[in-house]
Amino acid sequence: MRNIRRFIRIALLLIVGLFLHYVMPQQDVARVTSTEIIRTDFGGWQRLFFAQADSGQVDNVTRDLRLINTERLPTYMFGLIRGGSPETMVYRNEDTGWIYPPYFKFDSSDLQAEASAAISTAVPQEWVVVTHYGWRIRWASIYPNAVAIRPILVADGESPLDYRPFPWVNLIIFVVLIIGLVFVRAMWMQFRERTLDPIADSAGDRLDHVNADLAERRGRFRRWLDTWKSK
Amino acid sequence: MQFVRLVLGGFVILGVIYICVSLYSRSVRREKLENWWDEAPVDGMTREAYIAEGMAKYEVGLRRKLIWLIFVIPPLVVGTIIYFIN
Repeated sequence: MRNIRRFIRIALLLIVGLFLHYVMPQQDVARVTSTEIIRTDFGGWQRLFFAQADSGQVDNVTRDLRLINTERLPTYMFGLIRGGSPETMVYRNEDTGWIYPPYFKFDSSDLQAEASAAISTAVPQEWVVVTHYGWRIRWASIYPNAVAIRPILVADGESPLDYRPFPWVNLIIFVVLIIGLVFVRAMWMQFRERTLDPIADSAGDRLDHVNADLAERRGRFRRWLDTWKSK
Repeated sequence: MQFVRLVLGGFVILGVIYICVSLYSRSVRREKLENWWDEAPVDGMTREAYIAEGMAKYEVGLRRKLIWLIFVIPPLVVGTIIYFIN
């Protein structure tokens, strides 16, 4: 029983963790190499990893998808851990719309224009910070969604490759989530203490009464039976 | 259409949160009043009357009105996100 409970708890934690890792913003130091638009036919569960058509348009099975091809410095854990040499990364660039995930991004055309303006293939290369969410899953053609591109401002003599964007937004979200969790816990404890326990107490009380009553009756019956016994 | 869904869905969710928080806040206030009475009872007043008076004060107080912020803050956050993203 304890193992089953532990398993469920770990599975739940894993699902929540993966979900947060998928929807939370992450920042990459990257260099845009080109932008392109490909036609995509979404299929089955793969659809989950794409947003809908641009805001205000009709959603069809087939539509064009904006892509931003880059070379980026690989990072892990929301950019806190960094490692390896630059690798290829392709971002999609879609409106998230009003619902999920709540980025409220409506300006993918503008972002595409910014990305095109930031294309840098000649030396000296221009590196930018690409804020994005999502995963690149190559075997299912799934791309992270770029949300914003901003130039890296560094002092003279410093390399933009050494720039490490700090995940402030993630920090704020985590703090808010933890506060919310503590609050929900406090609410639940209060509810249990003031509402559930008294109900359980009174129910237990009533059960005790019923039991006592039953014992009393049985005692009377026993006594009546006993009157038939020969003395 | 999506915007309508966001507004309606958000309103329902925030409403549920509002109800939960206001019940919680009221319960906490009542518990506090009970504890205050148990520590230092007021002369010439029953425990029930003391609690009833405290609850009546709570119902018109600022603390209760602050719970309405549940409906105010999320739209502000959404507005801020929209401003910074776009």
